[in-house]
Amino acid sequence: MRRAALALVVVLIVAAGLAPARAQAPYYAGKTIEIVVPFGAGGGTDIEARFLAPFYEKHIAGNPRVVVINRPGGGSILGANFYTANAKPDGLQILATSGSTVIPFILGVPQVQYDFKKWKLVKVNGVGAVAYVSPGTGIRRPEDILKPAQPLVYGGIGAANLDLAMVLAFELLGMNVRSVFGFEGRGPARLAFERGETNIDYQTTPAYLSQVAPLVQERKAVPLFTFGFTNEKGLLVRDPAAPNLPTIYEFYQQVHKKKPDGQLRWKALQALLNPAFTFQKALWVPQGTPPEVLNALWDAVDKMNADPEFKEKSKNVLEGYTLFRGDKMEATVIKSLTVTLDVQKFIKDLLRTKYNVDI
Amino acid sequence: MAEALGAAAELFFVPARLGMMLLGVLAGLVVGILPGMGGIVAVAVLLPFVVRLDAIAALAMLTGALAVVHTSDTITSVLIGAPGSAASVPTVMEGHPMARQGQAARALAAAYLSSLIGGLIGAVGLTLSIPIARPLVLAFGSPELFMLTALGVSFAGSLLGKEPRRGIIAGLLGLLLGAVGPSPAAAQVRFSFGQIYLMDGLDLAIVALGVFGIAEIIGILARGGAISERVDLGHGWVQGIRDVIEHRWLVLRGSLIGMWAGVLPAIGATAGTWMAYGHVVATSKDRSRFGKGDIRGIIAPEAANNAVEAGDLVPTLLFSVPGSAPAAMIMGALLAYGIVPGPRIVQQHLDIIYVIVWTFAAANIIGATIMFLASPALARLAYIPFTRLAPAVILMMVLAAFQETQHYGDILTLLILGVSGYMLKATGWPRAPLLIGFVLANPLERYFWLTVNLYPDPDTWLLRPAVLVISALLVFPFVWTAIQALRRRGVREARAAAVRWRPGLGTMVSVGLLAIFAYATVTALGFLRGSSLMPLAVAILGTILCGAQVIQEIRGRSVPVAEEDEAPEGATGQIVARALRYLAGIAVYTVLIWFLGIRLASGLWVTAFMLVVARMRWPLAVLYTVVTLLGMELLARVLGIHLPPGRIALPGL
Repeated sequence: MRRAALALVVVLIVAAGLAPARAQAPYYAGKTIEIVVPFGAGGGTDIEARFLAPFYEKHIAGNPRVVVINRPGGGSILGANFYTANAKPDGLQILATSGSTVIPFILGVPQVQYDFKKWKLVKVNGVGAVAYVSPGTGIRRPEDILKPAQPLVYGGIGAANLDLAMVLAFELLGMNVRSVFGFEGRGPARLAFERGETNIDYQTTPAYLSQVAPLVQERKAVPLFTFGFTNEKGLLVRDPAAPNLPTIYEFYQQVHKKKPDGQLRWKALQALLNPAFTFQKALWVPQGTPPEVLNALWDAVDKMNADPEFKEKSKNVLEGYTLFRGDKMEATVIKSLTVTLDVQKFIKDLLRTKYNVDI
Repeated sequence: MAEALGAAAELFFVPARLGMMLLGVLAGLVVGILPGMGGIVAVAVLLPFVVRLDAIAALAMLTGALAVVHTSDTITSVLIGAPGSAASVPTVMEGHPMARQGQAARALAAAYLSSLIGGLIGAVGLTLSIPIARPLVLAFGSPELFMLTALGVSFAGSLLGKEPRRGIIAGLLGLLLGAVGPSPAAAQVRFSFGQIYLMDGLDLAIVALGVFGIAEIIGILARGGAISERVDLGHGWVQGIRDVIEHRWLVLRGSLIGMWAGVLPAIGATAGTWMAYGHVVATSKDRSRFGKGDIRGIIAPEAANNAVEAGDLVPTLLFSVPGSAPAAMIMGALLAYGIVPGPRIVQQHLDIIYVIVWTFAAANIIGATIMFLASPALARLAYIPFTRLAPAVILMMVLAAFQETQHYGDILTLLILGVSGYMLKATGWPRAPLLIGFVLANPLERYFWLTVNLYPDPDTWLLRPAVLVISALLVFPFVWTAIQALRRRGVREARAAAVRWRPGLGTMVSVGLLAIFAYATVTALGFLRGSSLMPLAVAILGTILCGAQVIQEIRGRSVPVAEEDEAPEGATGQIVARALRYLAGIAVYTVLIWFLGIRLASGLWVTAFMLVVARMRWPLAVLYTVVTLLGMELLARVLGIHLPPGRIALPGL
C-alpha cells in the first residue's frame, strides 16, 4: 500500500511537470496564439483560419506559433460560449466567427451567452453573393420575377440560418417562391439547381464565378442580383467581384420602380446583409486586451496585405475580398450587429408564420 | 487525356515532390494507426507544413496522407479491436476475431493487399471518370440519393444475425441515435435534453469508438489473457495473399462500391465501406463465419475504403462539393494555389488532377508495402497480456474522442456508449446494424424529405428509371433471405459455447431499450411536423418490437447469448463478474476526469490499473504511466488539443 502511495506521488509530480510553463519573453515572441474555430475542421471558417495561420506567424511581431483549434457544436454557439467563458485578454486566444455565429446573436437565440460588444475586432473580411434563376422560369427582365413561367422553387439549408438573407430578399421583392429546406450546404443545393430540382438559387460570388458563370455561358442559368457589399463608410455598393450585376437595392428599383427605403422589409434585409456577407468572417479578442497586443495583431493585417505571397495565395481563399484591419472597421461592424427591436420582431414573425421556425 | 497524364508524370516524378509525398504517407500511416483518427486529423496535422511548399509538392503530401489512412487503420482494428477510424468497423468485426484465433497475419495481409488494389482501382477510376463524371453525378437526383441510402439501410438486413428481430431493433436504435441533433427537415434540435453539446448531434467517430472500441476492450479484459493465445505459425501472410487472389472479384466489387459511394457526396465514405460489407454478406452462400472472422468480410470493405477516397475527389474537383471534411481541406489547399475546382478544371488543370491521381496510386503502393514490412513486428502486440495494453489504448481513444469538439461531452458520450456497447455485445445484440443505422440516418431522412418536397407529385419520382432499378435491388435481398430461410428450415445451427448471462441481466438490457424507444416516442410526438416523421416512425416500431422481445424473454423462450465470446463453460460467472468490475472502473475514470481533469485522472487511473489489475511492480507501473502520459501530451500538442482541466481547480493541471 505504501508503495502504491509512493507510485501515485511520483505520477503526480510528473503530471504537474507536464503542465505548460509560462515563457518570459517579449510579447508574442516564443508564444503560441490559438485561433478558436467554433466549427468543425474542413468548413469554410476553418479552412480560412488554417490558411491565415502561417501568414499570421510570419507577420505578427515576434513570430508566435499560430495554431487552429476546432470547438464545434450548436452551430458555433458552443465554441463562442466557451470562448466567452475562458478567453483571457492576453491576445493568445483569438475567436473566429462567421455569419452563422452572428445570426443567432442578432435574433436573440436564448442559448447565446456571447456578446460581440465585449470583444475587440482583430480583422474582418467578407464575401458577396449572387442570386440566379434557371432559364426555364422565363425570367429575362427584372419585372418577370413577379410572374414567372413556372413556379419558383428554392433549395436551402434552413430558414433561420444563412438562407435568411435570401428569404428576406424574396419577401422584399414580393416574389412567390416555394422554399425547400434540408440541404446540407450551398454546394449540394447548387447541384439540385443543376439537376433541375430547384430553379432559383444563390451562391457566394466566388462560387458563382467559378461554378455558375460557366452555366450562364451555356444558357443554363440567368443571374438576377447581388447582395452588394458594404464599403468603409457603411454604404451598400456593387459587389467588387461582380460589378456588372445590380445590387438587390438597384434590382428592387428595377422591379418596383421605386426605392425600398423606409420599408421594414428592407430594414430587415439590410440588417442581415453585413453579418451574412460583407462582415462574414471575423477574428476577435476579449475587451481589455492591452493596446500593444492589439496593435501587433492589427499591424499584421497591413503587412499581410502588402505581402506578395499573401496577395497571390489569398486570391481564391479570401475570394478576392480585402482583409480589413479590425480598428478601422470595428465601429461599423458593431453597429451592423445592433438590430432594432421592430426588425427583430419582423424577422421572428416572418420565420414563425411562413417558415414554421420558432425562436 | 494521355497528354495530361504524361505532363502530370513529369510534374510528379521530381525527387523533392516524391519526398514530400513520402512524408505525407508516413504521417497518414501513423494517424491511421491511432484508434479513431482518420483522414481529417492527418490533413489537419499536415496543413501548417504545406503552406510553404509549391502546389504540386503540397498536393502530393496531402493526397499521400489521405490515400493511406485506411491502409494502416487496419492494424488497430485487427489487433486491438479498436476501430482505427470510423470506416474500419467491419474490419474490427471480422479481422479482430481472426486475430484472436491466431490468424492476425492472414487478416492483415489480406487487408493490405485489398486496400492496395482498392486504391489502385480508385486511381484508375478517377482517371477515367474525371472527363465524363459531371453528367453522371448530375443524373443522381434527390430521389435516387434517397433510394440509394435506403438500399444501404437494407444491406443492414443481411447483418441481422441469428435473431432478425434483435437486428432490426439495433438498426432502429442506430437510426434513433442518428436523429439526435438538428433535423434536416425543420429548424428543430431533437433529443438534445437542453444540452448545447447535443445540438449538432453525435459524432460518428465517437459512436464507432464507443460501441465497438471501448466495448471490445472491456470484452477482451473480461475474458482475460492476451488477444491471441495461439501462436501464429507464419504461414498467415501467404494465406492472406492467396485469399485475396481467390476472392479477386470481391476486391473489384468492393472497390467499385466504395468508389461510387465516394462519387455521390450524399452517401459518405463510411457508408461506402458498410455497403461493401453488407454486399459481401448478402451475396455469400455460406454466411456462418461472418462476425466470427470471415476473410471475405475484410477484403471487400478494405478495398472499398481506399477506393472511397479516390471517388470522393470527383465531386470535390468537378463541383467543388467535397464529400468529406478531409476532401474539403484539400480543396482549401487547392484554392490557395489558384486551382479552383469546378466545371473548368478539366480544361484548365487536367495535369494537376492527374498529379493527384499519380500520388494516390503511388501512395497506396508505398503505404501497403510499409505496412507489410512493419506488421510482423506490430503483430506481436497481440501476444502481450492485454491488461498491459488496455489503459494506454483506452486513454488514446478518450483523446481521439475528445479532439472532436474538445468538450467533456465527447468523453462522457464515448464512455457511456462504450459501456452500452458492451452490454449489447454481452447479451447478444448485433451492433453492426446499429452503426449502419447511425451512419445513414441523416442522409436517409434528408433525401426523403427533399424528395417528397421537391417532387410533390409522387409519380414524378417513383417512376424514374433509376428509382425503379434501385427498388428492385432493394427487394432482392429480402427475397433472397426468405428463399434461403425456407431452404434452411429444419437445420438448426449448433450454438457455440458462449457466455451466458443470467436471463435477468439480458432482460434488463431489453427493458432498457424498450424504455429508450418508449421515451423517444413520447418526445417525438412533440416535434414539428417535418422533423417528427422519421424519429416517430423509428421509435414506434422500436417500441413494438422491443415489447415483443421483452415478453418473449420473460417467458424464457429466448436466452440472451453473447455475440462471439467463446469461453470455456463454467468460467462464465467469473467473466461476468470481471466485466462488471471493468464497467465500474470505466465509470470511475469518467467521473475522475470530470473532477480532476484528464492529466491527474489518467495518472491515477492508469497507475491503479497497472498495480491492481495488471499486477505490475510499482516502479514499472509508474514508468508505464509516465510514458503513457507523455504520449498523451505529445499527441495533444500535435493535434492542438487542450487537455480538459477538472472542476476542482488544481494549480497547473
